[in-house]
Amino acid sequence: MTAPAAHDSSLPVSIRGLSKTYRVGFFLNNQVKALQGLDLEIAPGQVYGLLGPNGAGKSTTIKILMGLVRASQGQALLFGEPPDRPHVRRQVGFLPENPSLYEYLTGREFVTLAGRIFGLSGHDLDQRVERVLGEVGMGRASNLQIRRYSKGMVQRTALAQALISGPRLLVLDEPTSGLDPLGRRQMRDLILAERQKGTTILFCTHIISDVESLCDRVVVLVGGRRVQEGSVQELVSAKAPSVEMVVHGLPLEQLQSLGFAYEQAQQLDSRVLLRVPDSDSHGLLQSVISKGGRVSRVQPARFSLEDLFLDAMKQAGGQTVGGEIQ
Amino acid sequence: MGAFAAMAWNGFREARRNRVTVLVAAFALLLLFATTLITEVTVSTFDRVVTDFGLGVMSLLLVFLAIYLSSGLISREIERRTIFLMVSKPLSRTRFLLARLAGNMLTLGVLLLAMTLLFWVELVLHRSPITQPQMAALWGLYLELFVLTSAGFLMSTFASQLVSALVTTGLYFAGHLCSDIYNLGVKSKAEFVQWISKGTYYALPNLERLNFRPRATYAIEVTAAELGTATLYALGWGALFCVLAAIVFERRDFR
Repeated sequence: MTAPAAHDSSLPVSIRGLSKTYRVGFFLNNQVKALQGLDLEIAPGQVYGLLGPNGAGKSTTIKILMGLVRASQGQALLFGEPPDRPHVRRQVGFLPENPSLYEYLTGREFVTLAGRIFGLSGHDLDQRVERVLGEVGMGRASNLQIRRYSKGMVQRTALAQALISGPRLLVLDEPTSGLDPLGRRQMRDLILAERQKGTTILFCTHIISDVESLCDRVVVLVGGRRVQEGSVQELVSAKAPSVEMVVHGLPLEQLQSLGFAYEQAQQLDSRVLLRVPDSDSHGLLQSVISKGGRVSRVQPARFSLEDLFLDAMKQAGGQTVGGEIQ
Repeated sequence: MGAFAAMAWNGFREARRNRVTVLVAAFALLLLFATTLITEVTVSTFDRVVTDFGLGVMSLLLVFLAIYLSSGLISREIERRTIFLMVSKPLSRTRFLLARLAGNMLTLGVLLLAMTLLFWVELVLHRSPITQPQMAALWGLYLELFVLTSAGFLMSTFASQLVSALVTTGLYFAGHLCSDIYNLGVKSKAEFVQWISKGTYYALPNLERLNFRPRATYAIEVTAAELGTATLYALGWGALFCVLAAIVFERRDFR
Protein backbone atom coordinates (compact mmCIF):
# COMPACT_ATOMS: atom_id res chain seq x y z
CA MET A 1 0.00 0.00 0.00
CA THR A 2 1.27 3.48 -0.75
CA ALA A 3 1.77 6.00 2.04
CA PRO A 4 -1.36 8.02 2.70
CA ALA A 5 -1.45 11.77 2.11
CA ALA A 6 -4.05 13.88 3.95
CA HIS A 7 -7.07 11.84 5.06
CA ASP A 8 -10.49 12.50 6.42
CA SER A 9 -10.44 10.70 9.75
CA SER A 10 -14.21 11.13 10.07
CA LEU A 11 -14.73 8.62 7.25
CA PRO A 12 -14.95 5.12 8.70
CA VAL A 13 -13.83 3.62 5.39
CA SER A 14 -11.90 5.26 2.58
CA ILE A 15 -10.52 3.25 -0.33
CA ARG A 16 -8.48 4.67 -3.22
CA GLY A 17 -7.37 2.73 -6.29
CA LEU A 18 -7.29 -0.54 -4.40
CA SER A 19 -6.00 -3.54 -6.37
CA LYS A 20 -5.14 -7.05 -5.40
CA THR A 21 -3.47 -9.63 -7.58
CA TYR A 22 -3.08 -13.18 -6.32
CA ARG A 23 -0.32 -15.39 -7.65
CA VAL A 24 -1.58 -18.91 -8.22
CA GLY A 25 -0.34 -22.19 -9.68
CA PHE A 26 2.44 -24.53 -8.57
CA PHE A 27 5.17 -22.09 -9.60
CA LEU A 28 3.04 -19.02 -8.73
CA ASN A 29 3.32 -18.02 -12.38
CA ASN A 30 -0.37 -17.28 -12.95
CA GLN A 31 -2.03 -14.13 -11.72
CA VAL A 32 -5.63 -13.55 -10.71
CA LYS A 33 -6.75 -9.94 -10.47
CA ALA A 34 -9.22 -10.07 -7.59
CA LEU A 35 -9.59 -6.28 -7.32
CA GLN A 36 -8.85 -3.60 -9.90
CA GLY A 37 -8.63 0.03 -8.86
CA LEU A 38 -11.52 0.15 -6.42
CA ASP A 39 -12.58 3.54 -5.01
CA LEU A 40 -14.99 3.71 -2.11
CA GLU A 41 -15.98 6.02 0.72
CA ILE A 42 -18.36 5.22 3.53
CA ALA A 43 -19.78 8.03 5.64
CA PRO A 44 -20.43 7.65 9.39
CA GLY A 45 -23.68 5.93 10.27
CA GLN A 46 -24.24 4.45 6.82
CA VAL A 47 -25.15 0.87 6.11
CA TYR A 48 -23.12 0.15 3.03
CA GLY A 49 -23.58 -2.97 0.91
CA LEU A 50 -20.98 -4.65 -1.26
CA LEU A 51 -22.98 -6.56 -3.83
CA GLY A 52 -21.65 -8.91 -6.45
CA PRO A 53 -21.50 -12.48 -7.67
CA ASN A 54 -19.03 -15.02 -6.36
CA GLY A 55 -15.45 -13.93 -7.04
CA ALA A 56 -16.41 -10.29 -7.59
CA GLY A 57 -13.86 -9.04 -5.05
CA LYS A 58 -16.22 -8.38 -2.12
CA SER A 59 -14.47 -10.59 0.39
CA THR A 60 -11.03 -9.49 -0.83
CA THR A 61 -12.01 -5.86 -0.15
CA ILE A 62 -13.13 -6.78 3.35
CA LYS A 63 -10.04 -8.89 4.01
CA ILE A 64 -7.77 -6.02 3.01
CA LEU A 65 -9.67 -3.73 5.38
CA MET A 66 -9.32 -6.28 8.16
CA GLY A 67 -5.59 -6.83 7.58
CA LEU A 68 -5.98 -10.43 6.46
CA VAL A 69 -4.75 -9.75 2.93
CA ARG A 70 -2.16 -7.22 1.76
CA ALA A 71 -3.17 -4.90 -1.08
CA SER A 72 -1.05 -4.99 -4.24
CA GLN A 73 -1.75 -1.32 -5.03
CA GLY A 74 -3.75 1.60 -3.72
CA GLN A 75 -4.76 2.30 -0.16
CA ALA A 76 -7.48 1.31 2.25
CA LEU A 77 -7.99 3.43 5.35
CA LEU A 78 -10.17 3.04 8.42
CA PHE A 79 -10.94 6.33 10.19
CA GLY A 80 -8.20 7.95 8.10
CA GLU A 81 -5.46 5.51 9.13
CA PRO A 82 -4.01 2.24 7.86
CA PRO A 83 -6.11 -0.66 9.11
CA ASP A 84 -3.29 -2.57 10.80
CA ARG A 85 -2.91 -0.07 13.65
CA PRO A 86 -4.17 -1.52 16.96
CA HIS A 87 -6.04 1.65 18.03
CA VAL A 88 -7.88 1.60 14.68
CA ARG A 89 -8.79 -2.05 15.02
CA ARG A 90 -10.19 -1.40 18.49
CA GLN A 91 -12.99 0.56 16.78
CA VAL A 92 -13.90 -2.23 14.39
CA GLY A 93 -15.98 -5.39 14.85
CA PHE A 94 -15.61 -8.12 12.23
CA LEU A 95 -17.78 -11.10 11.34
CA PRO A 96 -16.13 -13.22 8.61
CA GLU A 97 -17.97 -15.42 6.14
CA ASN A 98 -18.74 -18.85 7.66
CA PRO A 99 -16.99 -17.94 10.89
CA SER A 100 -14.88 -20.56 12.57
CA LEU A 101 -14.40 -20.27 16.32
CA TYR A 102 -12.24 -22.18 18.81
CA GLU A 103 -14.39 -25.27 19.28
CA TYR A 104 -12.81 -26.25 22.58
CA LEU A 105 -14.13 -23.05 24.18
CA THR A 106 -17.67 -22.29 25.26
CA GLY A 107 -19.42 -19.39 23.55
CA ARG A 108 -18.99 -17.29 26.69
CA GLU A 109 -15.28 -18.08 26.91
CA PHE A 110 -14.78 -17.16 23.26
CA VAL A 111 -16.55 -13.82 23.57
CA THR A 112 -14.60 -13.13 26.79
CA LEU A 113 -11.33 -13.93 25.00
CA ALA A 114 -12.28 -11.52 22.21
CA GLY A 115 -13.05 -8.85 24.82
CA ARG A 116 -9.65 -9.35 26.48
CA ILE A 117 -7.88 -8.97 23.14
CA PHE A 118 -9.75 -5.68 22.75
CA GLY A 119 -8.25 -4.62 26.09
CA LEU A 120 -11.38 -5.05 28.20
CA SER A 121 -11.25 -6.58 31.66
CA GLY A 122 -12.96 -7.03 35.00
CA HIS A 123 -16.55 -6.11 35.71
CA ASP A 124 -16.89 -4.07 32.50
CA LEU A 125 -15.94 -7.11 30.42
CA ASP A 126 -18.31 -9.42 32.32
CA GLN A 127 -21.18 -6.98 31.83
CA ARG A 128 -20.49 -6.57 28.13
CA VAL A 129 -20.22 -10.33 27.59
CA GLU A 130 -23.56 -10.81 29.30
CA ARG A 131 -25.16 -8.01 27.25
CA VAL A 132 -23.94 -9.02 23.79
CA LEU A 133 -24.71 -12.69 24.36
CA GLY A 134 -28.22 -11.64 25.34
CA GLU A 135 -28.55 -9.37 22.30
CA VAL A 136 -27.70 -12.18 19.88
CA GLY A 137 -29.94 -14.63 21.73
CA MET A 138 -27.12 -16.82 23.03
CA GLY A 139 -27.52 -16.14 26.73
CA ARG A 140 -28.73 -19.64 27.58
CA ALA A 141 -26.46 -21.72 25.35
CA SER A 142 -23.33 -19.71 26.05
CA ASN A 143 -21.92 -22.25 28.51
CA LEU A 144 -21.92 -25.08 25.98
CA GLN A 145 -18.75 -25.89 24.05
CA ILE A 146 -18.82 -24.38 20.56
CA ARG A 147 -18.31 -27.81 18.97
CA ARG A 148 -21.89 -28.57 20.04
CA TYR A 149 -23.33 -25.47 18.35
CA SER A 150 -25.45 -25.38 15.19
CA LYS A 151 -24.34 -23.14 12.33
CA GLY A 152 -26.78 -20.43 13.40
CA MET A 153 -25.46 -20.49 16.97
CA VAL A 154 -21.88 -20.18 15.72
CA GLN A 155 -22.93 -17.21 13.55
CA ARG A 156 -24.60 -15.49 16.52
CA THR A 157 -21.62 -16.10 18.79
CA ALA A 158 -19.34 -14.71 16.10
CA LEU A 159 -21.55 -11.63 15.89
CA ALA A 160 -21.43 -11.30 19.69
CA GLN A 161 -17.61 -11.23 19.62
CA ALA A 162 -17.77 -8.58 16.89
CA LEU A 163 -20.00 -6.41 19.09
CA ILE A 164 -18.09 -6.89 22.36
CA SER A 165 -15.99 -3.73 22.04
CA GLY A 166 -18.92 -1.49 21.05
CA PRO A 167 -17.42 -0.87 17.60
CA ARG A 168 -17.91 2.32 15.57
CA LEU A 169 -17.59 0.26 12.39
CA LEU A 170 -19.04 -3.20 11.91
CA VAL A 171 -17.73 -5.25 8.99
CA LEU A 172 -19.89 -8.25 8.10
CA ASP A 173 -18.98 -10.75 5.39
CA GLU A 174 -22.07 -12.66 4.19
CA PRO A 175 -23.76 -12.37 7.60
CA THR A 176 -26.93 -14.20 6.58
CA SER A 177 -25.50 -16.94 4.40
CA GLY A 178 -26.33 -20.45 5.55
CA LEU A 179 -28.94 -19.31 8.04
CA ASP A 180 -32.54 -20.54 8.04
CA PRO A 181 -35.29 -17.94 7.39
CA LEU A 182 -35.76 -17.25 11.09
CA GLY A 183 -32.01 -16.90 11.62
CA ARG A 184 -31.79 -14.52 8.65
CA ARG A 185 -34.61 -12.43 10.03
CA GLN A 186 -32.96 -12.22 13.44
CA MET A 187 -29.61 -11.34 11.90
CA ARG A 188 -31.25 -8.55 9.90
CA ASP A 189 -32.94 -7.25 13.06
CA LEU A 190 -29.59 -7.21 14.85
CA ILE A 191 -28.00 -5.26 12.00
CA LEU A 192 -30.88 -2.78 12.05
CA ALA A 193 -30.51 -2.40 15.82
CA GLU A 194 -26.83 -1.57 15.35
CA ARG A 195 -27.76 0.97 12.70
CA GLN A 196 -30.15 2.58 15.17
CA LYS A 197 -27.21 3.01 17.56
CA GLY A 198 -25.33 4.91 14.85
CA THR A 199 -22.80 2.19 14.05
CA THR A 200 -21.42 2.33 10.52
CA ILE A 201 -21.92 -1.03 8.85
CA LEU A 202 -20.15 -2.43 5.82
CA PHE A 203 -21.43 -5.76 4.70
CA CYS A 204 -21.03 -7.87 1.66
CA THR A 205 -23.51 -10.31 0.29
CA HIS A 206 -24.91 -11.78 -2.88
CA ILE A 207 -28.40 -11.91 -1.36
CA ILE A 208 -30.13 -8.97 -3.00
CA SER A 209 -33.12 -8.85 -0.66
CA ASP A 210 -30.74 -8.26 2.26
CA VAL A 211 -29.23 -5.28 0.49
CA GLU A 212 -32.65 -3.83 -0.39
CA SER A 213 -33.92 -4.12 3.15
CA LEU A 214 -30.79 -2.99 5.01
CA CYS A 215 -28.53 -0.73 2.96
CA ASP A 216 -28.38 3.04 2.55
CA ARG A 217 -25.84 2.77 -0.25
CA VAL A 218 -24.65 -0.02 -2.47
CA VAL A 219 -21.67 -0.70 -4.67
CA VAL A 220 -21.93 -3.45 -7.27
CA LEU A 221 -18.66 -5.26 -7.98
CA VAL A 222 -18.12 -7.56 -10.93
CA GLY A 223 -14.77 -9.15 -11.79
CA GLY A 224 -12.95 -7.00 -9.25
CA ARG A 225 -14.27 -3.73 -10.70
CA ARG A 226 -16.88 -1.29 -9.48
CA VAL A 227 -19.72 -1.21 -11.99
CA GLN A 228 -22.43 0.70 -10.07
CA GLU A 229 -22.51 2.80 -6.92
CA GLY A 230 -25.22 4.82 -5.23
CA SER A 231 -28.20 4.66 -2.90
CA VAL A 232 -30.63 1.81 -3.52
CA GLN A 233 -33.30 4.35 -4.56
CA GLU A 234 -30.95 6.15 -6.98
CA LEU A 235 -29.82 2.96 -8.63
CA VAL A 236 -33.30 1.57 -9.04
CA SER A 237 -34.87 4.79 -10.32
CA ALA A 238 -31.97 5.59 -12.66
CA LYS A 239 -33.20 2.93 -15.04
CA ALA A 240 -35.80 4.06 -17.65
CA PRO A 241 -39.27 2.87 -16.55
CA SER A 242 -40.92 -0.11 -18.23
CA VAL A 243 -44.52 -1.28 -18.59
CA GLU A 244 -45.86 -4.83 -18.34
CA MET A 245 -48.90 -5.89 -20.39
CA VAL A 246 -50.91 -9.10 -20.51
CA VAL A 247 -52.44 -9.68 -23.99
CA HIS A 248 -55.16 -12.19 -24.96
CA GLY A 249 -56.27 -13.31 -28.42
CA LEU A 250 -53.01 -12.79 -30.32
CA PRO A 251 -50.18 -15.34 -30.64
CA LEU A 252 -46.65 -14.46 -29.55
CA GLU A 253 -45.33 -14.65 -33.14
CA GLN A 254 -47.83 -12.04 -34.35
CA LEU A 255 -46.97 -9.71 -31.47
CA GLN A 256 -43.27 -10.07 -32.21
CA SER A 257 -43.90 -9.09 -35.83
CA LEU A 258 -45.30 -5.72 -34.71
CA GLY A 259 -41.74 -4.34 -34.47
CA PHE A 260 -41.57 -3.24 -30.85
CA ALA A 261 -38.38 -3.66 -28.80
CA TYR A 262 -39.65 -6.03 -26.12
CA GLU A 263 -37.64 -6.33 -22.90
CA GLN A 264 -39.59 -9.50 -22.23
CA ALA A 265 -42.08 -11.52 -24.32
CA GLN A 266 -43.43 -14.76 -22.92
CA GLN A 267 -46.35 -17.06 -23.83
CA LEU A 268 -48.40 -18.01 -20.73
CA ASP A 269 -51.13 -20.51 -21.76
CA SER A 270 -53.53 -18.41 -23.86
CA ARG A 271 -52.00 -15.12 -22.71
CA VAL A 272 -48.81 -13.32 -23.62
CA LEU A 273 -46.78 -11.33 -21.09
CA LEU A 274 -44.98 -8.38 -22.65
CA ARG A 275 -42.57 -5.87 -21.15
CA VAL A 276 -41.70 -2.74 -23.14
CA PRO A 277 -40.13 0.67 -22.43
CA ASP A 278 -42.70 3.16 -21.20
CA SER A 279 -42.27 5.23 -24.39
CA ASP A 280 -43.50 2.30 -26.52
CA SER A 281 -46.44 1.33 -24.31
CA HIS A 282 -49.01 3.62 -25.94
CA GLY A 283 -48.18 2.49 -29.48
CA LEU A 284 -48.21 -1.19 -28.50
CA LEU A 285 -51.59 -0.81 -26.79
CA GLN A 286 -53.11 0.72 -29.95
CA SER A 287 -51.54 -1.93 -32.21
CA VAL A 288 -52.85 -4.81 -30.08
CA ILE A 289 -56.40 -3.41 -30.08
CA SER A 290 -56.32 -2.68 -33.82
CA LYS A 291 -55.24 -6.33 -34.50
CA GLY A 292 -58.23 -7.60 -32.50
CA GLY A 293 -56.36 -8.47 -29.35
CA ARG A 294 -57.51 -7.77 -25.80
CA VAL A 295 -55.37 -6.29 -23.02
CA SER A 296 -56.28 -7.53 -19.52
CA ARG A 297 -53.55 -5.77 -17.55
CA VAL A 298 -51.22 -2.80 -17.96
CA GLN A 299 -48.90 -1.89 -15.08
CA PRO A 300 -45.55 -0.20 -14.53
CA ALA A 301 -42.82 -2.81 -14.10
CA ARG A 302 -40.90 -2.51 -10.86
CA PHE A 303 -37.20 -2.32 -11.59
CA SER A 304 -35.46 -4.13 -8.78
CA LEU A 305 -31.92 -4.27 -7.54
CA GLU A 306 -31.84 -7.78 -8.95
CA ASP A 307 -32.41 -6.37 -12.47
CA LEU A 308 -29.67 -3.85 -11.82
CA PHE A 309 -27.37 -6.61 -10.65
CA LEU A 310 -28.05 -8.72 -13.73
CA ASP A 311 -27.59 -5.67 -15.98
CA ALA A 312 -24.28 -4.92 -14.32
CA MET A 313 -23.12 -8.47 -14.92
CA LYS A 314 -24.15 -8.28 -18.57
CA GLN A 315 -22.21 -5.03 -18.95
CA ALA A 316 -19.18 -6.70 -17.42
CA GLY A 317 -19.33 -9.42 -20.06
CA GLY A 318 -21.08 -12.03 -17.96
CA GLN A 319 -18.04 -12.60 -15.78
CA THR A 320 -19.31 -14.26 -12.65
CA VAL A 321 -16.69 -16.35 -10.96
CA GLY A 322 -13.17 -15.31 -10.01
CA GLY A 323 -11.17 -12.32 -11.07
CA GLU A 324 -9.38 -11.77 -14.34
CA ILE A 325 -6.84 -14.52 -14.94
CA GLN A 326 -3.62 -13.74 -16.77
CA MET B 1 -5.05 -9.71 31.64
CA GLY B 2 -3.67 -8.10 28.49
CA ALA B 3 -4.23 -9.32 24.95
CA PHE B 4 -0.90 -11.19 24.87
CA ALA B 5 -1.49 -12.93 28.19
CA ALA B 6 -5.10 -13.76 27.23
CA MET B 7 -3.94 -15.40 24.01
CA ALA B 8 -1.12 -17.29 25.74
CA TRP B 9 -3.45 -18.51 28.48
CA ASN B 10 -5.90 -19.61 25.81
CA GLY B 11 -3.14 -21.69 24.21
CA PHE B 12 -2.59 -23.43 27.55
CA ARG B 13 -6.34 -23.98 27.89
CA GLU B 14 -6.50 -25.42 24.37
CA ALA B 15 -3.71 -27.90 25.12
CA ARG B 16 -5.33 -28.82 28.43
CA ARG B 17 -8.58 -29.68 26.65
CA ASN B 18 -6.77 -31.58 23.91
CA ARG B 19 -7.14 -35.35 24.34
CA VAL B 20 -3.65 -36.04 23.03
CA THR B 21 -2.09 -33.84 25.72
CA VAL B 22 -4.11 -35.50 28.43
CA LEU B 23 -3.26 -38.99 27.13
CA VAL B 24 0.45 -38.21 26.84
CA ALA B 25 0.51 -36.69 30.32
CA ALA B 26 -1.30 -39.71 31.77
CA PHE B 27 1.02 -42.09 29.93
CA ALA B 28 4.10 -40.23 31.13
CA LEU B 29 2.94 -40.28 34.73
CA LEU B 30 2.17 -44.00 34.41
CA LEU B 31 5.62 -44.70 32.98
CA LEU B 32 7.30 -42.71 35.73
CA PHE B 33 5.34 -44.69 38.25
CA ALA B 34 6.50 -47.87 36.52
CA THR B 35 10.07 -46.91 37.39
CA THR B 36 9.40 -48.79 40.61
CA LEU B 37 9.14 -52.01 38.59
CA ILE B 38 12.38 -51.34 36.71
CA THR B 39 14.24 -50.95 40.00
CA GLU B 40 13.40 -54.54 40.85
CA VAL B 41 15.90 -55.76 38.23
CA THR B 42 18.78 -53.58 39.43
CA VAL B 43 21.24 -54.49 42.15
CA SER B 44 23.88 -51.81 42.58
CA THR B 45 23.01 -49.16 39.97
CA PHE B 46 19.64 -48.23 41.32
CA ASP B 47 20.12 -44.43 41.35
CA ARG B 48 21.50 -44.48 37.83
CA VAL B 49 18.62 -46.56 36.43
CA VAL B 50 15.95 -44.45 38.10
CA THR B 51 17.51 -41.22 36.84
CA ASP B 52 18.15 -42.50 33.34
CA PHE B 53 14.73 -44.06 32.93
CA GLY B 54 12.84 -41.15 34.51
CA LEU B 55 14.57 -38.44 32.49
CA GLY B 56 14.34 -40.57 29.35
CA VAL B 57 10.59 -41.00 29.69
CA MET B 58 10.10 -37.27 30.27
CA SER B 59 12.29 -36.38 27.32
CA LEU B 60 10.67 -38.81 24.89
CA LEU B 61 7.08 -37.90 25.68
CA LEU B 62 7.58 -34.17 26.01
CA VAL B 63 9.52 -34.00 22.74
CA PHE B 64 6.68 -35.89 21.04
CA LEU B 65 4.16 -33.50 22.54
CA ALA B 66 6.23 -30.42 21.65
CA ILE B 67 6.40 -31.54 18.01
CA TYR B 68 2.72 -32.47 17.89
CA LEU B 69 1.50 -29.23 19.46
CA SER B 70 3.85 -26.80 17.74
CA SER B 71 3.52 -28.22 14.24
CA GLY B 72 -0.27 -27.94 14.25
CA LEU B 73 -1.08 -24.77 16.10
CA ILE B 74 -0.69 -22.14 13.39
CA SER B 75 -1.38 -24.40 10.39
CA ARG B 76 -4.61 -25.61 12.01
CA GLU B 77 -5.65 -22.01 12.71
CA ILE B 78 -5.11 -21.22 9.04
CA GLU B 79 -6.81 -24.39 7.79
CA ARG B 80 -9.85 -23.99 10.03
CA ARG B 81 -9.91 -20.23 9.41
CA THR B 82 -10.04 -19.37 13.11
CA ILE B 83 -7.12 -17.11 12.22
CA PHE B 84 -9.55 -14.64 10.56
CA LEU B 85 -11.04 -13.64 13.89
CA MET B 86 -7.71 -13.39 15.67
CA VAL B 87 -5.52 -11.59 13.13
CA SER B 88 -8.23 -8.97 12.56
CA LYS B 89 -8.19 -7.99 16.24
CA PRO B 90 -6.02 -5.29 17.85
CA LEU B 91 -3.12 -7.70 18.29
CA SER B 92 -0.27 -7.65 15.79
CA ARG B 93 0.50 -10.84 13.91
CA THR B 94 3.89 -11.16 15.57
CA ARG B 95 2.42 -10.76 19.04
CA PHE B 96 -0.26 -13.31 18.17
CA LEU B 97 2.45 -15.75 17.07
CA LEU B 98 4.56 -15.17 20.17
CA ALA B 99 1.50 -15.48 22.41
CA ARG B 100 0.72 -18.87 20.86
CA LEU B 101 4.34 -19.90 21.39
CA ALA B 102 4.18 -18.72 25.01
CA GLY B 103 0.99 -20.75 25.51
CA ASN B 104 2.72 -23.82 24.15
CA MET B 105 5.77 -23.34 26.35
CA LEU B 106 3.50 -22.83 29.36
CA THR B 107 1.78 -26.15 28.63
CA LEU B 108 5.10 -27.97 28.25
CA GLY B 109 6.46 -26.23 31.34
CA VAL B 110 3.50 -27.26 33.48
CA LEU B 111 3.75 -30.87 32.25
CA LEU B 112 7.50 -30.93 32.86
CA LEU B 113 6.92 -29.59 36.37
CA ALA B 114 4.26 -32.22 37.11
CA MET B 115 6.53 -34.99 35.83
CA THR B 116 9.47 -33.60 37.77
CA LEU B 117 7.45 -33.61 40.98
CA LEU B 118 6.48 -37.25 40.46
CA PHE B 119 10.08 -38.07 39.57
CA TRP B 120 11.27 -36.48 42.82
CA VAL B 121 8.62 -38.35 44.80
CA GLU B 122 9.97 -41.58 43.26
CA LEU B 123 13.51 -40.62 44.23
CA VAL B 124 12.53 -39.69 47.77
CA LEU B 125 10.53 -42.90 48.20
CA HIS B 126 13.53 -44.94 47.11
CA ARG B 127 15.89 -42.82 49.21
CA SER B 128 17.83 -41.68 46.18
CA PRO B 129 19.38 -38.20 46.15
CA ILE B 130 18.01 -35.29 44.09
CA THR B 131 21.18 -34.06 42.40
CA GLN B 132 22.34 -30.90 40.64
CA PRO B 133 22.98 -32.69 37.32
CA GLN B 134 19.37 -33.92 37.36
CA MET B 135 18.19 -30.32 37.69
CA ALA B 136 20.54 -29.29 34.89
CA ALA B 137 19.18 -32.09 32.70
CA LEU B 138 15.61 -30.94 33.32
CA TRP B 139 16.52 -27.36 32.41
CA GLY B 140 18.32 -28.63 29.31
CA LEU B 141 15.22 -30.59 28.35
CA TYR B 142 13.07 -27.47 28.64
CA LEU B 143 15.52 -25.55 26.45
CA GLU B 144 15.41 -28.34 23.89
CA LEU B 145 11.61 -28.21 23.92
CA PHE B 146 11.83 -24.46 23.30
CA VAL B 147 14.09 -24.91 20.26
CA LEU B 148 11.87 -27.66 18.82
CA THR B 149 8.68 -25.71 19.50
CA SER B 150 10.10 -22.61 17.78
CA ALA B 151 11.13 -24.73 14.79
CA GLY B 152 7.67 -26.32 14.68
CA PHE B 153 6.08 -22.87 14.79
CA LEU B 154 8.26 -21.64 11.95
CA MET B 155 7.26 -24.61 9.81
CA SER B 156 3.59 -24.33 10.68
CA THR B 157 3.43 -20.72 9.44
CA PHE B 158 3.71 -21.96 5.85
CA ALA B 159 3.37 -25.77 5.80
CA SER B 160 0.72 -28.30 6.77
CA GLN B 161 0.77 -30.03 10.15
CA LEU B 162 2.11 -33.27 8.68
CA VAL B 163 5.00 -31.58 6.87
CA SER B 164 5.79 -29.44 9.92
CA ALA B 165 5.81 -32.48 12.19
CA LEU B 166 8.02 -34.48 9.82
CA VAL B 167 10.55 -31.66 9.43
CA THR B 168 10.63 -30.94 13.17
CA THR B 169 11.09 -34.64 13.94
CA GLY B 170 13.92 -34.71 11.39
CA LEU B 171 15.44 -31.68 13.08
CA TYR B 172 15.27 -33.46 16.43
CA PHE B 173 17.23 -36.46 15.17
CA ALA B 174 19.64 -34.42 13.05
CA GLY B 175 20.15 -32.04 15.98
CA HIS B 176 21.22 -34.91 18.21
CA LEU B 177 23.46 -36.41 15.52
CA CYS B 178 25.14 -33.12 14.57
CA SER B 179 28.46 -33.98 16.19
CA ASP B 180 28.51 -37.41 14.59
CA ILE B 181 27.82 -35.87 11.19
CA TYR B 182 30.67 -33.39 11.75
CA ASN B 183 33.04 -36.14 12.83
CA LEU B 184 32.10 -38.17 9.79
CA GLY B 185 33.23 -35.26 7.61
CA VAL B 186 36.47 -34.86 9.54
CA LYS B 187 37.34 -38.52 8.99
CA SER B 188 36.33 -38.49 5.33
CA LYS B 189 38.91 -37.81 2.63
CA ALA B 190 36.31 -36.57 0.13
CA GLU B 191 36.16 -32.77 0.18
CA PHE B 192 32.50 -32.81 -0.80
CA VAL B 193 31.55 -34.91 2.24
CA GLN B 194 33.62 -32.63 4.49
CA TRP B 195 31.84 -29.61 3.09
CA ILE B 196 28.38 -31.16 3.51
CA SER B 197 29.03 -32.35 7.05
CA LYS B 198 30.39 -28.98 8.15
CA GLY B 199 27.46 -27.19 6.51
CA THR B 200 24.98 -29.47 8.27
CA TYR B 201 26.73 -28.97 11.59
CA TYR B 202 26.54 -25.18 11.40
CA ALA B 203 23.08 -24.98 9.80
CA LEU B 204 21.30 -27.04 12.46
CA PRO B 205 21.00 -26.55 16.21
CA ASN B 206 23.24 -28.99 18.04
CA LEU B 207 20.73 -30.39 20.52
CA GLU B 208 23.42 -32.46 22.24
CA ARG B 209 24.67 -29.18 23.74
CA LEU B 210 21.40 -29.08 25.70
CA ASN B 211 21.47 -32.74 26.68
CA PHE B 212 22.75 -33.20 30.24
CA ARG B 213 20.97 -36.51 30.80
CA PRO B 214 24.09 -38.70 30.56
CA ARG B 215 25.77 -36.42 33.12
CA ALA B 216 22.73 -36.70 35.38
CA THR B 217 22.84 -40.49 35.10
CA TYR B 218 26.48 -40.59 36.17
CA ALA B 219 26.06 -37.67 38.63
CA ILE B 220 28.70 -35.51 36.94
CA GLU B 221 28.18 -31.90 37.94
CA VAL B 222 27.24 -29.32 35.28
CA THR B 223 28.92 -25.95 35.80
CA ALA B 224 27.04 -22.65 35.77
CA ALA B 225 29.06 -21.60 32.73
CA GLU B 226 27.97 -24.69 30.83
CA LEU B 227 24.35 -24.08 31.76
CA GLY B 228 24.60 -20.41 30.81
CA THR B 229 26.15 -21.22 27.45
CA ALA B 230 23.52 -23.84 26.76
CA THR B 231 20.76 -21.39 27.69
CA LEU B 232 22.15 -18.69 25.40
CA TYR B 233 22.61 -21.24 22.62
CA ALA B 234 18.99 -22.41 22.88
CA LEU B 235 17.63 -18.85 23.16
CA GLY B 236 19.66 -17.88 20.09
CA TRP B 237 18.26 -20.67 17.96
CA GLY B 238 14.75 -20.17 19.34
CA ALA B 239 14.94 -16.44 18.61
CA LEU B 240 16.17 -17.10 15.08
CA PHE B 241 13.27 -19.48 14.40
CA CYS B 242 10.82 -16.98 15.94
CA VAL B 243 12.10 -14.08 13.84
CA LEU B 244 11.86 -16.17 10.67
CA ALA B 245 8.35 -17.32 11.67
CA ALA B 246 7.31 -13.71 12.29
CA ILE B 247 8.68 -12.59 8.91
CA VAL B 248 6.79 -15.36 7.08
CA PHE B 249 3.61 -14.85 9.11
CA GLU B 250 3.60 -11.05 8.67
CA ARG B 251 3.79 -11.40 4.88
CA ARG B 252 1.11 -14.06 4.50
CA ASP B 253 -2.28 -13.48 2.92
CA PHE B 254 -5.13 -15.28 4.63
CA ARG B 255 -7.57 -15.93 1.78
